[in-house]
Amino acid sequence: MGVIESLGTVVKAFPKARVVAFADLSSSMILASQGAEDITQEHLDALCKQARASFDDPLFALSVEAFGEPHGALVVGEDGVRVFLRSESEPADALCCICEHGIDLPEFVTKIRETLDGISGG
Amino acid sequence: MTRGTGRAGRPLNKAAIPIVARLTALQAAAQIAPGGARVIAVASVPSPIVALLREVNETILGRALRFESSSGASLTLEVAGRRALRLTEAVGLAGAERCLAAGALEDEHKDELIKLLQALAAPRCELRVTSLPLGPAGEGVNVGLPVALLADLLLIDLNAVPGMAPPAPEPEPEPVRGGRGPKVIPLPRTAAERKAPPAATCDLAALARAMGPGLVAWLVSGGVSDGVTEGPEEMVAHLQGFLEEEAEAVGRQLDLMSNQPGSTVCSLLGATLVDGHSILCARSGEGLLLGVVEGDATQALLSAWAAAKA
Repeated sequence: MGVIESLGTVVKAFPKARVVAFADLSSSMILASQGAEDITQEHLDALCKQARASFDDPLFALSVEAFGEPHGALVVGEDGVRVFLRSESEPADALCCICEHGIDLPEFVTKIRETLDGISGG
Repeated sequence: MTRGTGRAGRPLNKAAIPIVARLTALQAAAQIAPGGARVIAVASVPSPIVALLREVNETILGRALRFESSSGASLTLEVAGRRALRLTEAVGLAGAERCLAAGALEDEHKDELIKLLQALAAPRCELRVTSLPLGPAGEGVNVGLPVALLADLLLIDLNAVPGMAPPAPEPEPEPVRGGRGPKVIPLPRTAAERKAPPAATCDLAALARAMGPGLVAWLVSGGVSDGVTEGPEEMVAHLQGFLEEEAEAVGRQLDLMSNQPGSTVCSLLGATLVDGHSILCARSGEGLLLGVVEGDATQALLSAWAAAKA
């Protein structure tokens, strides 16, 4: 299954996921995205920067010191929930998602972890 | 056009479907011409060169874009990362020799390249593009001319959409791990974000308590709940020491993570988010909440957020 199809499967299974995007954090590029949200390249660029910021200091350093390297981040705001997952095998690979507040987060996080592992491993 | 079917009634290549969808989303013309080319500017378009530059601007992964004009001229540009890497072919266009001979397009080639693009994308010409794999020589090229530079020189706004105000200038607050204070400028927001209500405050202590037993230690620094803590004293002291040193940097990081500097926001950072430990950090007004979560707190966080905002 290709990247586009993999992301499409997530969006289909979770209609409250407005955008699911595959990014290369090392180059700050969104390489593919799916979702119903009306989103431009500028928005995708911004989403990628938010993902990078989520895995940055000082909170990153605090987490590493306390529990080890983090591979997941949630950002909850007025406008929705952003979920960022980094690949454990390829740390530059990440999924960046914009979801509605009502999404089933445990199920969603599990699903996108599987999806990211599939993309990075494929 | 029926989804998945070309204008001529032939099925589209499966790989072309997401491209057409992307173009539709961008409100750009998406017509399929015989031979697999895509019409990006019809003859009535006053400035086909705008469409040409937008094609380059939308190309992130390495591709060879072959542009053909209804005048009979054509050129092939190898592009990647919104840069024109190499000119590999020019037909019916004078003055292409230096660009064709260059291993990689550089600043010294920009004037000649612009003249070639202007000659190709002359007014009242239909313009088509065919996207091809990058040639082996192009894969080693990582410089090239940024399309934004070409657009600036031609006074073209790549982000302008008819009937819409231009987006805010793109800031460059690249996060630097452990960095001290990149200037934070609001990022562009999606349609849904623009519909969001004005930022409200959040009772951070209420948020922490609503998280339940999964939040094993926490404290609030600043704001109306300043000094409120719960959990083992040693853990709280560690969190307190961290905030005493890093509160400003945490605030800057939250600015970068959210869409609006100073906004009410909550973050969770962990190995997996659904097991093990995570760091909870939230901001409302002048207050910062910092805590340690044990186990899966993802759904509890959403419930607590909703409760604390009520």
